[in-house]
This record gives sequence, structure tokens and C-alpha cells, in this order.
Amino acid sequence: MSFSSALQRVGTCVRSAPRGVRVYYAVLGLWLSTTAMHIPDGYLSPATCVVMFAAMIPFWYFGLKKLREKINARSAPLVALLAAFSFIIMMFNVPLPGGTTGHAVGGALIAIILGPEVAVIAVSIALIIQAFFFGDGGILAIGANCFNMAVVLPYVSYAVYQAIAGKHPVESARRTVGAFAGGYIGLTIAAFFAGIEFGIQPLLFHTADGTPLYSPYPFSVAIPAMVIPHMLLASIVEGLVTSLVIVYLQRTNHEILMISANPAIAGEAGHTARLRIFWVVLAVLIFLTPLGLLAPGTAWGEWGSNQLTRMGLSFVPQGIKQLEGLWGAPLAGYKFTSLGNANLGYIISAAVGVIVISVLTGLLVTVLTSGRPENRHDPTDPHS
Amino acid sequence: MQRDLETASATSPVFEFCDVSFAYEGNQPALELVNLTLQAGESLAILGANGSGKSTMLKLMDGLYFPTSGKLRAFGKPLTEQALAEESFNFDFRRRVGLLFQDADVQLFSPTVFDEVAFAPLQTEWTGEEVIRRVESALRTLRIEKLRDRAPHRLSGGEKRRVALASILSLDPSVWLLDEPSAGLDPRSQSWLEDFIIDQVRAGKTMVTATHDLSLAEVVANRVCVFNETHRLVADGPPAEILSNQNLLAECNLIHEHRHPHTGVASEHRHPHVHSPSHEHNHPAG
Amino acid sequence: MSKPIRTGIFEKTLADLTHALEQSLFAETISRQAGLLQALDPRVKIISILSLLLSVSLSHNLPVLLSLYGLALLLAWLSSIPLDFFIKRVWLFMPFFTGLIALPALFITPGPVFVSLPFGLAITKTGAVTVLFLLLRVSTSVSLGVLLILTTPWTALLKALSILRVPEGFLLILGMTYRYIFLLLLTAEDMFLSRRSRILGRLRPAEARRILAASAGTLLSKSLSLSSEVYLAMQARGYRGQSRTVNAFQMRSIDWAWGSGIIFIAALAVWLGR
Repeated sequence: MSFSSALQRVGTCVRSAPRGVRVYYAVLGLWLSTTAMHIPDGYLSPATCVVMFAAMIPFWYFGLKKLREKINARSAPLVALLAAFSFIIMMFNVPLPGGTTGHAVGGALIAIILGPEVAVIAVSIALIIQAFFFGDGGILAIGANCFNMAVVLPYVSYAVYQAIAGKHPVESARRTVGAFAGGYIGLTIAAFFAGIEFGIQPLLFHTADGTPLYSPYPFSVAIPAMVIPHMLLASIVEGLVTSLVIVYLQRTNHEILMISANPAIAGEAGHTARLRIFWVVLAVLIFLTPLGLLAPGTAWGEWGSNQLTRMGLSFVPQGIKQLEGLWGAPLAGYKFTSLGNANLGYIISAAVGVIVISVLTGLLVTVLTSGRPENRHDPTDPHS
Repeated sequence: MQRDLETASATSPVFEFCDVSFAYEGNQPALELVNLTLQAGESLAILGANGSGKSTMLKLMDGLYFPTSGKLRAFGKPLTEQALAEESFNFDFRRRVGLLFQDADVQLFSPTVFDEVAFAPLQTEWTGEEVIRRVESALRTLRIEKLRDRAPHRLSGGEKRRVALASILSLDPSVWLLDEPSAGLDPRSQSWLEDFIIDQVRAGKTMVTATHDLSLAEVVANRVCVFNETHRLVADGPPAEILSNQNLLAECNLIHEHRHPHTGVASEHRHPHVHSPSHEHNHPAG
Repeated sequence: MSKPIRTGIFEKTLADLTHALEQSLFAETISRQAGLLQALDPRVKIISILSLLLSVSLSHNLPVLLSLYGLALLLAWLSSIPLDFFIKRVWLFMPFFTGLIALPALFITPGPVFVSLPFGLAITKTGAVTVLFLLLRVSTSVSLGVLLILTTPWTALLKALSILRVPEGFLLILGMTYRYIFLLLLTAEDMFLSRRSRILGRLRPAEARRILAASAGTLLSKSLSLSSEVYLAMQARGYRGQSRTVNAFQMRSIDWAWGSGIIFIAALAVWLGR
């Protein structure tokens, strides 16, 4: 399917959706994304919570291990203060043009300044404290919330920022641009993951007559409902806060911006090695999506292809077909049922979603960084 | 190692500074060529204006910073980063030396008063019961039993200072390093603090008090040294001698000159922050 | 050109900061009152609330969910939590969040028509059930979370987390984070109060954003420098990267009885709501 025909379909579908529904989602989505992306308990099935929690374990484990190795005992107060900072920053009301306000997560900022491992642990702790001590965000949903805001956001932001800022000097304007793009793209992709987590619920967890037990909207509603308002609002806030703080630090506190260049904290391995674990877990997660799917009562090992097909066929088309007229095409990639095995379809759709976003990110980064031949130079070399 | 330190310390001075200089990253100097020897049982007041290097001096004594140049010995042993990396020396040194930070919010990092006071004993190999016994006794001595389950952000300035002292007392060190202990205290807490320090000196502890509060120095110290604004140690002697040297104190920005316009004449005289040093006080331990 | 806005941004942020402080104060007050849940060992409380949360999450049956919400209300009443506060805390917020999210599901979930509305809209039976599921599940889960927070002093809650096999090092960080959240809250509050007192009249959004970013940047610098100082303070008291705590909790027979009772109820709810 060509990109332009997909775009055409988006247009058709959006136009054919009932106007009331479109207006409703536009307003609701914008309003919702002004509150932080904290999933309360009740939206996600316990199976999803377990899967997301399991997905967090390697990040927590390797994050803490890395902190111990690189900055050992010093990591405790550093992470604690940054987690407290992240907690406070989530309370800042940031005004946007047009009179609305939004909150930032701060994950992008911490990742850019101290590296994604520190951000994973610091933001996770802020989220755990919010859930356990302030009742914001679910306790069972901690794994999912941490995955979206403490893993996807920092790693993606960091990668985008590194790609744009490269080794340019700390006062370079490219760092500001990179910080904005990092925060913006990072939070948008985090919202995309939240959309996947929501969207998978009605497909996998429903009563015999098809009544969804948890979040009721399929991918075709959940993903656009999460991603689009974030792109229009919350992601802008994250990007703005990240870049404005970087600008402020460029003017007032250079040393802080030098930290990320300091191997003692940031690690000398470079971001590619650091990002590897992220992509590996992501790949595993995409692959396990249909399994994590784990309908209650079925053990992991007992999944025969018959059963998969049976389950898939029984509920998939129903979940997907009905919303064709609503948002359809941004999700053109989610309709692979023709492949015969709906679960394979899920794997592919999830993978396609990730690939599409990665490619778009890559393109954006290339566009933003191209046309500047000097960016190949090493700025640490005084003669360059 | 531990026994070494004990036998060595019986005869050696507590701290020996030999031409010690210290500069922060970026070469901003904080101490210049300091020479100082401190014997066990002394109560030393380090005087100096803000930024003269008093806090740095205490952090060097506590093995938190290390000299950029010069030699520093503690209990007769070199006090270096390598020496402190060794577990037994670190353990023994931390056990003997306690530092009160100037900013109570830095020192009180635990969620409750009890946890705070238990933090240092828990780094030792004492049993749980021993730790609890020590914590209770420290809380009693400082009369803050009521505060044991309070969070630090719900404490007043004076209470924070008491908790910070209790967090050191629970380890019962033989050397106390106090950074501006009287800053921000009301007069009642101030006099209580003076009594606390005097009691520790009477019990044979070594006290080092960094302050710009001349009255505190006068009451608790039996030796005073002064830093000037170029981070050098410019005077070292008994309190009566140093605290009566008006020119020295003015040079080091420890007293200021007041104009009294109401006299009509441009009469100027120097004001110490406190009562005159000739005033009678019960000087502790001679 | 964006039009100037009032200084409301600072008031809003200030209100949020103050609210967090007040909320923790309120929780502390309630947790010191006499009551059923207050009397329990915090470890038992964590385990029992978690098992109830899990049973809420696993139950596929509306009456069972409703009974679990009733149980939460009963526990709140027995723990001297003001019931109007308890219900309001959940239901004032819910319609605006979960309610709005769930609303379209009434119409677009396929199934037999339940109520027909004008303009060709129809509430389906499946839609109604699914919305009820979501509302009940979310409200019961939130209520259970609030129960735990309100009846347990947070320091006890922190220590009790060790029962979930949270490593000591992680608990140390968690405790320090909680402690410094309050320091930074107060710092941020001071910053905004002093800014507000200097701002006359209206402020452009761009200017407000710049000020907010400067505050955030200052706070970040402060956090980082504070973390180095705190590390020195920890070292000064012998910290070398390991941490240990003394555990003062003692399980009594009432704790055992309560814990097993609640786990039984939770299991029963899961079984009934299969």
C-alpha cells in the first residue's frame, strides 16, 4: 500500500465519521492530554499489568546496576533528588498559546542531562511515589506507567536529542532544537504505547458475548485518541519545558550541561550501546504482544496455533471492523487479518507501528540535521 | 588496622595540617597553605567571614575533600582518598569523627527523625538492639523523644539542629566538627547549644567549631584561629588574645564599623557582634 | 500574536504545590486517628489492599465488583475516614475522567440495542455493561488506594514496602525522594510566591513559559548541587553504598487473622466473579 493511498483513506474515513464523534474526541482528547498520562487501575487487565511489570524489570535491573557501576554510592542521593525534581516538575502548569495549560513529565530533560538510565530510575521512583503515596496513577498499573513515561519517553528523547545535538558545543542552538524534538517525539511515542496498551484490552479481555472487561476501545480508537491530542498539546509542553530549561542552563549553569559528557555519570559506551537494551525489550514486547494477551486461564506454554487462530478469529474482526468508519486509516497498518492468523496480524501491526514511527523519527532527525556539513566535525577538537 | 589507629591516636595529634591548600574544580582557591595541629581534648573555634574557607576546612578534616597540595594527617595517619577507601580505616575514622553540616536540610536526608538518628549506627556492625538503644539514648540526651516519628520538613530550625546533633551523638564520636552550629537559632536554643558543646568538651571530646559568631567562640573555645578573605590562616591563639584584637577581627571582616549619625559628629567605632571579650564567662576546660 | 494572559499560571502551580502539601498533612492526620485499618501492621495492610486490588482487577462480574466497592466503603467507615470525603474524592473526579472516556463506548460497542436515542444513536447493552465495568473497577481501585494512603503514615508504608521484596537500596532512595519532594515543594512555592509578588498585571504566555523554565532550571541546579552535598553528609556518617534498616514491626494475632480474612475474601471474589 502506498503512503499516498493510505493518506487518502485517512481523509475518507475521517470525513465519513459522524461529526459529533469527531468533535467529542477532539475536545476530550485535548482535555485529557493536559493531565499527565497516568493510567489508573481498572483500565488494564491484570495480565497486561503483569506483562508491563515484567517488561520493566530488565530496565530497573540494568539501570540500577549501571548506576552502581558508574557512580556507585553517589547514585542514591542523585537519583533521589532527580526523582523529587521530576515529581515537582509534573506539577508545573505550562501555558500554551491559546490559553490552555499542560504538564510536563520531565523524563526527557533528565535523560538529556544525565542519560536515560538515570532517567528510568528517577522517573520510576517519582511514579511509584505518586501511585503509593498520592493516589495518582494505579498501583497495579505501575509497570505500564513506568514503561511509557520512564522508559519510552527518556530513551526516545535521548536518542532524538543525541541525533540532532551530536557533539555540538553545549551552547549550540542545535541542543535547544534537539531538546525540543526529543521531548516532543519522546512523549508522542510514549502516548502511542499507552494507546497500544489500551487498545489491546477489548481484543483480549472480554466476556463470552464480547463485552469488553477493561478499557473498551480497540486500537483504531485508542491509539489516535492518545497520540493525536498529545501531538497537539502535551508533547509540545514536554518539548517546550525541555528546551527552555536547556536554554536557561546554557545561560546560567554550563557545568550541568557538561555532565552528560562526563563519563563518570553518562558512561563512555555511547548511546548506541545504551539503547540496545531498549530495542531488545521493545522487540520482545512486540513479539509477546499477542501472548501477553494471555487470556485468563490459559497458560503461556499451552498455546496451540489452533487455539490462537480460534481466539483470533472469534474476536478480532469484530473489534476492528466496527470502527473502520471512525478513525480507520491512521491504523491502516492494524488490519492484517487477511493473513489468516489474527495474532500474527497483531505482531505485525505492532511492529509496523513501531517501524513507522521510528522511520518518521529518523526522517525528521535527518531533515533537521542535514544541510549542515560542519556537524561531522568533532567540536572537542579546538581546530575544527 | 583498627588497633593501629587507636595506639597511634593515643599519642598523635587529632589533625595535622602541613602546608595544605585546596581549590575547587575550576581552580577557585578555598584554602591557602594552612598549617595547624590539633590535640585531643582541645576546643578549637575557626573564625572567618563567609567564603573564607571554614566549611572547606571542616570537610577536609572529615575526609570528604582531600588537599590539592600539602599533607593532612588524622590520628597520626595520612588522611587520603586511598586510606579512606580501605574499609577498616574508613569504618574507624567515621566512627571517631562526626560533622554537623551547616545546612540542616543536607544533613537530614532520612524520612523520619528516628531513621536519621539511626543512619550512622546502622552503617556499623552493631546489632539491631544496640542500634535502637543508642538512638533512644541520643534522642533522650537532646530531649527530642517526641519528635521520633516526625518528618524533617515538619521541624523548626532549632529542632532540626537538635536532630542533626542527635544523628551524630548516636555514634558518640571523639571528635566533633560543627559548621556554623548557631546560625539561625533563637537566643534560647543558642544558649542550649553552648551548654551542649561545653558538656562534650568536659567529657573529653575534641571540638572544632567553625563560626563567625564571636560570642559562641568566646564561650565554647579554648583556642581560636582566624581565616582572612584570601583563605589563609592568619591567627591562632587563646580566645582572650584573639578576640580582643580589634584590628585583626576588622581586617578579617568579623566585626564591622558603625557610623552613629545621631551624635552629629563623624564618630566611628568598631562593633563586635557581641559582648566585649573582656566580659567574664566560665571558660570551659581552661 | 498571542494575547496576554493573567498571572493565573503561577496561582495554578502554587495551588497544585500547596495541594500536595495539604494532602499529605490530611493523610497524616487521618492515619493518626483510631480506627480499624490504622491498628493493623502496615505490611498486612499492603498485602491485603494489593490482594483486594487484584480481585477487583480479576473479577468479571458486576455484583461482585459492587460488593467490593461496598467493602471499601465499610472499611473507610470503620477507619474513621469521613465518608463524604471518601466518596467525593473518587466520584467528583471520576465522571470527568473515566466517565468522559467511557461515554462513547455506550454507543459504539456493538451489541443488542438497550435504549434508542434520537439521531440514530443507540445505547447497546454491551456498551452499558462495559462502561459499568470500567467505572466500578476504576472507582473501587482508586478507593482502595486511598484507603491505604489515608490509614498508613507514609514512613510506615515505606518500611512496609520491604515486604514486597523491594531491595533496601531502592527503599533508601525512595525514602530520600519522599523527604526531598517536600524540600523542593517548599522551594518551588517560595520561588513562585516571590515571582508573583513582583509581577504586576498581565503576563504574556511566552514570558510565563520563560519564567517557568527558569524556575525549573533553578530547581534542577539546586537538586543536583543538593545531591552532591547530601552524598557528603551520607559519607560523613559512614555510608559506603550499602544500607540497612531496623524493622520495628511486630505481627500480632489480629494481624494474622485480618490478613488471612482479607485474602480469603479476595479469593472468594475472584472465584465468584470468574
